Amino acid sequence: MGTGRPEELGDETLVTLAQKGEHKAFEELVERYKQKAYRIAFDFTRDREEAKDLSQEAFLRAFTHLNGFDQRASFYTWFYRILVNLCLDYRRRGQRVSWQPFEEHDGKTAEKNEIANPGPSPDREAMSGEISRKIGAALNSLPPKQRTAFVLKNHEGLSIREIAKIMQTAEGTVKTHIHRAVLALRQSLAELV
Amino acid sequence: MTDMSSIQKACKNYEQDLVLHYYGESSPEERERIQAHLQGCPSCSRFLDELRTVLPLTVKADEPPESFWESYSRELRQRLMTAREKNAWWEGIFSFLRPWAVPTLATAVVLILAVTLTLTRGTWHTRDLPPKEEALLEVLPIAENLEFYTSMDFLDSLDLLEDMGGADSGSA
Repeated sequence: MGTGRPEELGDETLVTLAQKGEHKAFEELVERYKQKAYRIAFDFTRDREEAKDLSQEAFLRAFTHLNGFDQRASFYTWFYRILVNLCLDYRRRGQRVSWQPFEEHDGKTAEKNEIANPGPSPDREAMSGEISRKIGAALNSLPPKQRTAFVLKNHEGLSIREIAKIMQTAEGTVKTHIHRAVLALRQSLAELV
Repeated sequence: MTDMSSIQKACKNYEQDLVLHYYGESSPEERERIQAHLQGCPSCSRFLDELRTVLPLTVKADEPPESFWESYSRELRQRLMTAREKNAWWEGIFSFLRPWAVPTLATAVVLILAVTLTLTRGTWHTRDLPPKEEALLEVLPIAENLEFYTSMDFLDSLDLLEDMGGADSGSA
């Protein structure tokens, strides 16, 4: 890459270089967005492996369709749209993963934690697992658009304008989705207050 | 923990504004208006407090270990490489369909067709049928009209008899 170190370049330049076949440019975009992409996918799946697969798939799709991306929107808006659509498809296919604390399905992590720290009592752990399950169920029961808007706002801290661009809808609609999602969650999680 | 029925309700007109206010999405004027309202409305204040308690609970951050990210990047690089190889294969196929190649190919096809048609003129059959069936197809329309020809012959014979009868009576 003759125009400087990839990590110093803006998204726009990296996209242009990647469109010209510079592999390193796209790899830099991956490095830049992989954690955020993973986190969004995790918000939808609540499963580490599924989140990894979905976020990687989003990068692959972005790569294969990169030449069709005209840069009218920013790269991350365009990329998040791909990712969110994949996450919604995942939900539509009905592959809902139960909300479980990681320790329950990541043996190694649990083991390490046990050695370093005796951790909470079994009662407390069970209670936290139960709360976690309830929150997961409450989020799962939200309609897809409400959940998307809520996750992007509440978990990722994106602005209403950014969410509207990603969801290709009006800002007013996003506000309504978030408002309804919050009311539904309050209703479902009232006992936690 | 509170009972479901004791869920705090906000003033209907302020509900959405309070949610957006919680997320810092209100304009300075809206913020001022909401602050003024909150000072005189305990229900809306409690509603906002509840949002501050409940909403952070819904965030479940995952912090995978460093090894996870290493394998993540390695796997993705591998998948991207496979996609690149696939793309290169398709590009090879589509390179034949470049702008200059399309009219050239079309001209070549037209020329080949023209030469073929000129050289093979007269040897083309509308139907590729065996000789027996071809002969049958030629005979079939004649056979269909046979009855007509027979009746015509019969009428000719009547005319001949009539002429002969007329000639006999004339001579008598």
